[in-house]
Amino acid sequence: MTDFFTNPLIVKEMRERFRTPKTFWILGLYLLVMGAILLGFIFIQQMNSYISPGDNSELFVMLAVIQYGMICFIAPALSAGAISGERERQTLNILLTTHLSPAKIIMSKIVTSLAFIFLLVVTSLPLYSFVILYGGISPTQLLLLLLFFSVNIICFGSIGLFCSTWMKRTGVSTITAYGLSFFLVVGTGLVFIFLGMLIQQMYPEVYVDETVWNLLGIKLLAGMNPPYVLSEILGENIGPKLDWFMPVWAYFSIIYGVLSLILIAGSAYLLRPVRRTWFAWKK
Amino acid sequence: MIRTENLTKHYGKLHALNDLNLEIGKGKVFGFIGPNGAGKSTTMMILSTLLGPTSGRAYVAGYDVIKEPKDVRQVLGYMPDFFGVYDNLKATEYLDFYAGAYNIPHSKRSNLIADLLELVNLSNKADAYVDSLSRGMKQRLGLARCLVHSPEVLILDEPASGLDPRARIEMREILKKLRSMGKTIIISSHILPELAELCDDIGVIEKGNLIACGSVDEVSVETRGIAVMQLKTLDKLEETERILAASPLVKRLDNKGSHFRFHFTGNDSDKAGLLMKLVQEGIPVLHFGDSKENLEDVFLAITEGVGN
Ligand SMILES: Nc1ncnc2c1ncn2[C@@H]1O[C@H](COP(=O)(O)OP(=O)(O)O)[C@@H](O)[C@H]1O
Ligand SMILES: [Mg+2]
Repeated sequence: MTDFFTNPLIVKEMRERFRTPKTFWILGLYLLVMGAILLGFIFIQQMNSYISPGDNSELFVMLAVIQYGMICFIAPALSAGAISGERERQTLNILLTTHLSPAKIIMSKIVTSLAFIFLLVVTSLPLYSFVILYGGISPTQLLLLLLFFSVNIICFGSIGLFCSTWMKRTGVSTITAYGLSFFLVVGTGLVFIFLGMLIQQMYPEVYVDETVWNLLGIKLLAGMNPPYVLSEILGENIGPKLDWFMPVWAYFSIIYGVLSLILIAGSAYLLRPVRRTWFAWKK
Repeated sequence: MIRTENLTKHYGKLHALNDLNLEIGKGKVFGFIGPNGAGKSTTMMILSTLLGPTSGRAYVAGYDVIKEPKDVRQVLGYMPDFFGVYDNLKATEYLDFYAGAYNIPHSKRSNLIADLLELVNLSNKADAYVDSLSRGMKQRLGLARCLVHSPEVLILDEPASGLDPRARIEMREILKKLRSMGKTIIISSHILPELAELCDDIGVIEKGNLIACGSVDEVSVETRGIAVMQLKTLDKLEETERILAASPLVKRLDNKGSHFRFHFTGNDSDKAGLLMKLVQEGIPVLHFGDSKENLEDVFLAITEGVGN
């Protein structure tokens, strides 16, 4: 943590980011919009029906879904320019001749590019506490939701960072990062459904009704699908009921955590200006 | 201080650098000269550990640029031909960032930064935002930036390109200061006059081949036996031109109005002979000698015929 405040890259990026009034405008606007949506829904609900505070989790679910959508939308883009932006500004080469190692540059970049979105999530926590008054949600669920958000933010951030190191241009890198994130969020679900139905069609005598979804391979695929995991955390259940050998959020966090680590390590490797091959290294 | 052995770099089929052998002593200022696309930046990037050579070796202060890049980075300051600055940072913060990137302790930084800004004549711009600086100032700030860790070796890629004459002179004065501080400097350029008085040695590179290397005088005369001469007379211009044109040793005669400039392919006694002839013919010679102040001519003379 002491490293956090002395790391020159982090200090510099924070200076740059929080010096522009834009940052605060975005933050204010974001909270305003979230709050407005929330109040609007409460208002509509109260008009339509008599609601009993105490077991109404609808608001919570809605807030979580909106925020998750926002994370999917912002997180990949925030880091997709981290390295390619330096390259385009022609500052990357200078950076690479300093004592900052590629790994340190990558780590600092992921921290600084995701700091802002974490700030958005943290500042919106009061909205959740407001919603919790309506009940139907336990503090554990709120914590799990935060964990889920963090895992997603880090993973999307790593995807963006990897693309940013890999591709020369920020534009291309942003599009690729969105594409890959889209695959994780929507694609895994589609593949899951497709495979399940395919197997069921092929062996209709073996897998009568729902059993096919509990095949290990199929199940593991479902656990990689963020919307499914989100629904499990919120207790809303979309899709077939699966029996899990471990909490699905834990499985999800491990998979996405490992994926993030691989992407970050890959970025650090790609960033090295002169990559010696193993053969040359052994010599 | 800097040595390259058969340094070669290919970009696909393009041979950007062929078997480059350089040896630059400690405290020397080496001018690296060649037209655009000759391979100067490529060489400098390899020396700065930013690019891997296809084959060959390079050493900076005894460290291998491939095997010991960290040590090389410690002793080397590199200024690319084009570089950007961060917006939203002040000049001091800009330098502070790089000082941090070289692990220089906080306590030493403010003095160091003040000294560096003083060295590059930017003390009055300490609190200005870097993107508001003029190109010449940015270039000088960039120079200060590569000095934060007081490296022994400086690699400056076309530091004066795109600068107006005044900014060029300022840059040159700073480089002279650095030379007197005993730094080993490699400086590249495709336009030469600015390097003439600065460099101890020059190397001329064209299409990836080093075609001449040595002190300014050696390079111009020895390598190809070509000297660029200048002749100034009081009057009798037509007659002078006739005599010069008649000499088989005079090539590329250029009448500049006030004086003549030509390539001379003979040795010293041939030169004396030519002067004697001019005087015998009654030409009032004002000046007769090597044109040293204009390296561009030297360069043209040397690169003549290379590459076709
Ligand atoms: N990344 C690259 N990919 C392909 N060719 C390159 C690359 N960088 C430079 N070149 C080519 O290598 C040659 C030498 O370039 P460079 O070293 O930049 O020349 P100089 O700095 O002397 O003008 C040029 O022909 C250039 O087009
Ligand atoms: Mg160049």
